[in-house]
Amino acid sequence: MKIPLKYNFRSLFVRRATTLMTIGSIAFVVLVYIGVLALAGGLKTAFAASGDPRNVLVLREGAKSEVESFFDLDKARLLAALPGVGRNAKGDPLASGQTTVLQILKRADGSESNVSIRGVEPAIFDIRPQVRLIEGRRFEPGRAEVIVGSKLAGRFAGLSVGEQMKFGRVEFRVVGIFDSNGGSFNSEIWVPISDLRDAFRRGESVSTVVLQAASADEAVALVDRIKADQQLKLQPKLEIDYFADQANQNSRQFVVLGNVLAVLMSFGACFAAANTMYAQVAARAKELGTLRAVGFKRRTILVAFLLEAALLGLIAGCVGALAALPLNSLTAGTMNGVTFSEISFNLRTTPTILLSGILLAVVTGVLGGLPPAIAASRRPITTLLREV
Amino acid sequence: MAIGTLALKNLKRNKTRTALTLLSVASALLLLCLLWAFLEAMQGVEAADDTRVVVRSAVSLATLLPEAYWQKIGTIPHVQAVTPLNWYQGTFIDDRPENFFPRFASDPATLFKVFPEYQMPEDQKQAWTAERGSFIAGKALADKYGWTIGKSISIKGDIYPFDLSNITLRGIYTVPNLPTQEKQIFFHRQYLEEAIGNRGLIGTYFLRLDSSDSVPSVVATAEKMFENSDAQVRAETEKAFNLSFLEMIGNIRFLFGAIGLAVVISIFFITANTMAMAARERTGEMAVLKTLGFSGGQVLTLVVLESLAVGVFGALLGCALAFALVGGLAKAAESVFPVFSTIAVTPKVWGIGLGVGLAIGLLSGLFPAIAASRMRIADALRRI
Repeated sequence: MKIPLKYNFRSLFVRRATTLMTIGSIAFVVLVYIGVLALAGGLKTAFAASGDPRNVLVLREGAKSEVESFFDLDKARLLAALPGVGRNAKGDPLASGQTTVLQILKRADGSESNVSIRGVEPAIFDIRPQVRLIEGRRFEPGRAEVIVGSKLAGRFAGLSVGEQMKFGRVEFRVVGIFDSNGGSFNSEIWVPISDLRDAFRRGESVSTVVLQAASADEAVALVDRIKADQQLKLQPKLEIDYFADQANQNSRQFVVLGNVLAVLMSFGACFAAANTMYAQVAARAKELGTLRAVGFKRRTILVAFLLEAALLGLIAGCVGALAALPLNSLTAGTMNGVTFSEISFNLRTTPTILLSGILLAVVTGVLGGLPPAIAASRRPITTLLREV
Repeated sequence: MAIGTLALKNLKRNKTRTALTLLSVASALLLLCLLWAFLEAMQGVEAADDTRVVVRSAVSLATLLPEAYWQKIGTIPHVQAVTPLNWYQGTFIDDRPENFFPRFASDPATLFKVFPEYQMPEDQKQAWTAERGSFIAGKALADKYGWTIGKSISIKGDIYPFDLSNITLRGIYTVPNLPTQEKQIFFHRQYLEEAIGNRGLIGTYFLRLDSSDSVPSVVATAEKMFENSDAQVRAETEKAFNLSFLEMIGNIRFLFGAIGLAVVISIFFITANTMAMAARERTGEMAVLKTLGFSGGQVLTLVVLESLAVGVFGALLGCALAFALVGGLAKAAESVFPVFSTIAVTPKVWGIGLGVGLAIGLLSGLFPAIAASRMRIADALRRI
């Protein structure tokens, strides 16, 4: 026969202060674990929101990122004319050459970082319909105007609508703030590609070309077509693959950090759980003796204590997870290790992250509860009953 | 100190509990010390030399400067030598981080003048200078891969659309006391230039000055010199240059601080909990002590001393563990951020660890101690 769960729950809260403190210490471990993983989750979400399965990004052969890539404008024109590239309502190809320049800018707190300035063609707004202006208007080519990603506007100095900044030889003016549904473009400044070329005296070249096919399948076919083209000698990638790769490379460090912290911190919390459970065992000696005397088996006692420890962990895990939810409103900024430029993003506590946090707490509780539970089940009835 | 002896004896009463609490304090302090050591390492970027200045494009590192600047910068007063460094990057063997090390295109004639702490035999310098398709490597790197003079390696290009195929090792340099500086290779800039069609671009210029007093004037002159050109420059000390990389990583400091705070709060819960348990268990005993004539203050001291001992011993253990483990961690972190190779549990870190242990011990013992000192003997004796 099993001991009802209600017994465990009530027992836990007989010594309320002790239990609450243990819950508190485990909950903090969970909070830190979820917090660090939320950084990784946020990065992944930002990059996932940037890619479109219909889009193909074309880079120079051998280039690992947009920043390293460049090729002739002639090739960009050939790419736009390829069969399989979609057309907008006016019949123009859904293709945009892009030039990426990193520019040192000052953050609002005075520190500095590289910001990605992206030269784009008008077709980019058809290719990325998720990009919409939340303030001001779009730029007009030839007038030295830029639009700024929503995540940059607040974090960096001098990027509000109407403000001016010098890129290369030219003074640019901010005419709008755009948002791309949490994507990584929110950390970029967009400029008409021809203006950027003038400002930095870039010759007739582009960094990359982004193409949009009619469907995801056609995008795959387009990648194969460009790969097979011996004249182009370029490196096409599905945009979703390109961004997934960056997401993994950038979030890896946070995943590692989160796990190292989880192991070290839960070590300490494990001892706290063990302490609590030892106290429970000691305080309930007579109760246990009685349970054994009326016929409950050793194993039942062991399971009951383990359940109690697991319950302790579960409650702590849920408290920690709940406490972590407000983290979703935070914005963090770090360096994109692939493109070497600033990326700002919202922290994201995905369901997987929350669940792993709770699981961590339950495991901590059970591991901490195991030695006291074994000790409890092993003690002979006679000594148990004799204790005060 | 009879009370002190009694407090220590009390610790031995419930050995399991004391051990568990000590270990949890120790594991938390271990974490705290490591976090702090990382922060310290970030601040104290080794930046060897305060007589070196770096000149780069004002746009960013991804924008290069004309090679014509080389000679112009050399004419600035107090500048003794100028060497170009181009970040080649590339892929050696595969993309794994353990196979990554800095690869620079530079100029054999000036490199050692700007970096006099790099030591290499004269005949190796001559051999490297004489052969275009050759390179030199730091001793630590050569040891890691088992390279000897004459060894050929190939590196696949990414930033540069040109592979370094079969370049030959002609020299192995050493840098006393700065092992990270030994984990890079240098090859001929001219070799790369010719292969990519003489674009005449240089990533960074490293300048050696006659003394650190000349830094402000050289920085100002260099920036002013190219103010009205198409490629403006930024000049800064080598240390500021190195720090700018850390600045880009963002608010790591805040992240580490927040984690550290959570760790401290978490151990506070753990020790306070244990002390409360210990004090509660001994209510009767305390009452007996008071009956025998011990004052409230003495009982308070007894409980506080006990928890202080737990805090301090736990902290000592944690700091010692951090001290033992930090070397391994530094090795692991080094491949990602070379600055972390200097990470160490410094006396300051020890101090902080012990301070936190002390504070935790004091605070967590205080509440049960006050309760114990204030209780009325009659109530306490009746409780059991």
